[in-house]
Amino acid sequence: MCPEVSLRDVAVGSTARVANVVGSDLTSMRLLEMGLTPGVNVKVVGAAFLGGPLELELRGYRLSIRRSEAARVTMAR
Amino acid sequence: MSYAAGIPVAERAITVVLLGNPNTGKSTLFSAMAGIPTRVGNYPGVTVEEKLGRMAYKGHSIQLIDLPGTYSLAPKSPDEQIAVNVLRGQMPGVPVPQCVVVVADATNLERNLYLTSQTLELGIPTVIALTLCDVADEKGIALDIQKLSQRLGCAVVRVVASRREGIDLLCEKILAATGVPQPRPAGLDASLTAETPTHSPAASEAIARYQWIENVLKGIVQRNPPAIRSLNDSIDAVLTHRVWGTLLFATTMLAMFSSIFWLATPLMDIISRGIDALAAGAEGLLPPGAIRSLVVNGVIAGVGGVVIFVPQIAMLFFFIAVLEGCGYLSRAAFLMDRLLVGVGLSGKSFIPLLSSFACAIPGIMAARTIENPRDRLLTILVAPLMSCSARLPVYLLLCGAFVPNVPVGIPWLRLPAVVLACMYAVGVVVAAAVAFVLKSTVFRGPPEPFVMELPGWRWPRWRVVLQRVWESVSSFLQNAGTLIVAVSIVVWALASYPNYPEAIDAEVKAQRQFLTDELASLDSTPADSMPAERRENAADIAEQLAFLDTKAGLAAAQRGAAQRQSFLGQGGRFIEPLVKPLGWDWRIGCAALASFPAREVVLGTLGVIYNLGEIDPGESEDASALVRRLRSATWDGTTRKVFTLPVALSLMVFFALCAQCASTLVVIGKETHSWVWPVVAFAYMTVLAWLGACATYQLGTWILS
Repeated sequence: MCPEVSLRDVAVGSTARVANVVGSDLTSMRLLEMGLTPGVNVKVVGAAFLGGPLELELRGYRLSIRRSEAARVTMAR
Repeated sequence: MSYAAGIPVAERAITVVLLGNPNTGKSTLFSAMAGIPTRVGNYPGVTVEEKLGRMAYKGHSIQLIDLPGTYSLAPKSPDEQIAVNVLRGQMPGVPVPQCVVVVADATNLERNLYLTSQTLELGIPTVIALTLCDVADEKGIALDIQKLSQRLGCAVVRVVASRREGIDLLCEKILAATGVPQPRPAGLDASLTAETPTHSPAASEAIARYQWIENVLKGIVQRNPPAIRSLNDSIDAVLTHRVWGTLLFATTMLAMFSSIFWLATPLMDIISRGIDALAAGAEGLLPPGAIRSLVVNGVIAGVGGVVIFVPQIAMLFFFIAVLEGCGYLSRAAFLMDRLLVGVGLSGKSFIPLLSSFACAIPGIMAARTIENPRDRLLTILVAPLMSCSARLPVYLLLCGAFVPNVPVGIPWLRLPAVVLACMYAVGVVVAAAVAFVLKSTVFRGPPEPFVMELPGWRWPRWRVVLQRVWESVSSFLQNAGTLIVAVSIVVWALASYPNYPEAIDAEVKAQRQFLTDELASLDSTPADSMPAERRENAADIAEQLAFLDTKAGLAAAQRGAAQRQSFLGQGGRFIEPLVKPLGWDWRIGCAALASFPAREVVLGTLGVIYNLGEIDPGESEDASALVRRLRSATWDGTTRKVFTLPVALSLMVFFALCAQCASTLVVIGKETHSWVWPVVAFAYMTVLAWLGACATYQLGTWILS
C-alpha cells in the first residue's frame, strides 16, 4: 500500500482532490467549515518563505493555512 | 404600523443583529447604517467586543448589534460562543434579536453561505446583505439575486456600503421580515440526514452543508472573464511570486514604517511648534502664578501630548486601510506567520508590532485587525516593548554622552551604535520571551488554527480608506485624549505642589553656600598638587556659581528646588532604596517618576532637577549643557559621580522595557475595554524594567571593576 499523500506534499502550482480531513478537533472542524471537504478540488497557488503557510485556491476563493494544518488533509491519489 | 406617541424610542426599537464572516465589509455596513456606535464595550467576562448602534428608518427605530466576524455557528472560540448566545437571545442584557442580517461577500458566496445555512436554521427572520458587489462586478461575477432569494427563503439585498447603495432597501426588507417566522431552508434537512458513514460527524455535516450550497448556487453564479483581467492577473502573479512577492512585501513594509517614522515628523514638529506658541501666548495673557502654571504646564502641555500622536495614527491607519482595501493586509500576515508562530503569535501581529517601533499607540490600535481575541490581547500586551521613537532621544543622549566612542573591530561601527542597536534588540527579545511565556501559561489553550482568507488583488475604495483614518483619529481623540490630558494634569500637580517659597529660597541659599564652600576648599589646595579631575570640578563649580548669579540661573535653581520639594520629589526620595540597586540616585528616580506621562519627558525633567531650568533636549546647545551637568552630578554630600557607564546603561535598559507612557496605558485600556490590562501591562513591564536595569548595572559594575 502506498503512503497517503497530504495537502502539504502537493507541489506548488498543481491541483488535487481532498480525500479526508483527519481529526475532529477545533482545527479540523475549521478546515472543513472553510470548504476543505472531501471531494473538493484544491490548487496550491503558493507558499510563504521559510516554511510559512500555503496559499490555496478552492471553491472560488483563496485560503491560507499553515503547513502543520495542511498535513491533516489527505488527498486522493 | 404606527406607534402611539409618547412611547420612548428604546421600547419600540427593533433589535437587529449583524452577522458575517471576517472581512466581508460588515463594519463598513454598520457605519453606513448606524454611523458612530452608541456603545462599544466588552461582553461580560470576555474580551470580545460588543458594538451597538442605533438608526431610524421611516419612523422606526432600529437597534443594531454588530457581532464579531465568525465563520461558523458551531461554537469553538469565545467570539463564536458570543455570537450564538446573542442570536439565541441568551445573552444577559442583550434583547432577543428580531431580525438577523447575514453579511455575505458577493465575491465568495459559496463559503459565505456556510454561515448563512446555520443561521437560517435558527428560525430568526433573516435578511442577507450582499456586500462587495462592486468588487464582484469588477471581477466579472454575476449573481441572480432573485433566484438566490427564492431558494434561500429570505430576502437578499445588494449593498455597496461605502456609497450607501442599497441601505434603504435593506431597511425596508428588515422591517418586512420582522415578525414573520423564518422557514427552514429547503433541502438542507435532507442533505444533513443523508448518510455519509465513511466520515466523522463533523466532516459529514460540512459535506452536507456544502452539498446544499452547491445545489442552491447551481445556475445562480456566473463568472465572466473581467475586462481588466490581464492587469489584475499580472499583479496577482507578482504578489504570489516567491522572489518578487517577498521583495515587494519588504519594500511595502519599509515604506509604511519609514512613513510613520519620518514623514510624520514634520507634521509633529508643526504641532509642537503650535503648542509652544499657544503656551507662550497663554503665558503672556495670564499673570504669573498657579493658574498660569496649570494652563501652560498642565492643560496645554497635556493637550499637546495628545495631538502630537495624531499624524502617526492617521498615517498608519491610512496605510492599513489601503493595504486592507487592496487585499494586501492578509498577505502580510500570510508571509510573516512563520516568524511569529514560534513565540505563540500569528502573522496578523506583524503590522501592529512593526508599527510599534514608531509608536505603540497606533500599533496597539492596529491590533484591531486581529480577529482572534487571545492573539489580539497578547499583541497589545507586548507591543509597548518595541522601542518607539520616544525612546530614541533618551538612547541617543545617553549613548553619546556616556558610552565610549571606540571602534569595535568592524569598520564604520563604533560602540555607541552597537549599544543603540542592543537597546532595540532588548525590546524585541523580551517581547518574544513574554509572548512565549504568556502563551504557555495564562493564555494557554488549544492551538488556534491559522485559517485565513486571502482576498485577491483589488483597488482600494478611497471613501473607505478616508473613513478608516477619520474613525481611528477621532476615536483616539475622543476616547483616549481626555484621559491623557487628565493624567498630565495630575502629574503636573504632583510636580508643582506643595510649593513653599521660603523653603525653596532656603534650599537655593544652602546650595549656593555649598558650592561656595566647595570652591573655597578646592581653591585652598595648591593647584599643582591637585589631580586633573578635581581641577575640572573646580571649574565646573565656578561655572554653576556664575550661572546661579544670573536671572535665568536663579529661576532655574528655584524651579529645581520646587520640583525636589514637590510630592514628586518626595516620591523620588521615597523610592530611593528601590532605585539604588540600579545605580541611580534619588534625582534619577524622581525623573523616572515624572516621565510617567511620556518617556521623552525624562530628559527635560533631568534638566529641571539639575537646575538647568526649562531645556529642550532636541536643541544641541541645551543637550550638551544637560550632558555636561549630568557628567558633573555627584551623589548628595559626596564627590562620587552619579552617571557612570553602568548607570547610563541601566537607565537605557529601564527605559527600553518600562511602561512610562500614560498614553499607551490609556489606549490599552480603551482598546481592551478594561482597566485590568493596562494595570497588568504596567506591572509586568515595570518589574521587567527594574530587573533588567538592576542586572545591567550590577553586571556592568562587576565587569568594569
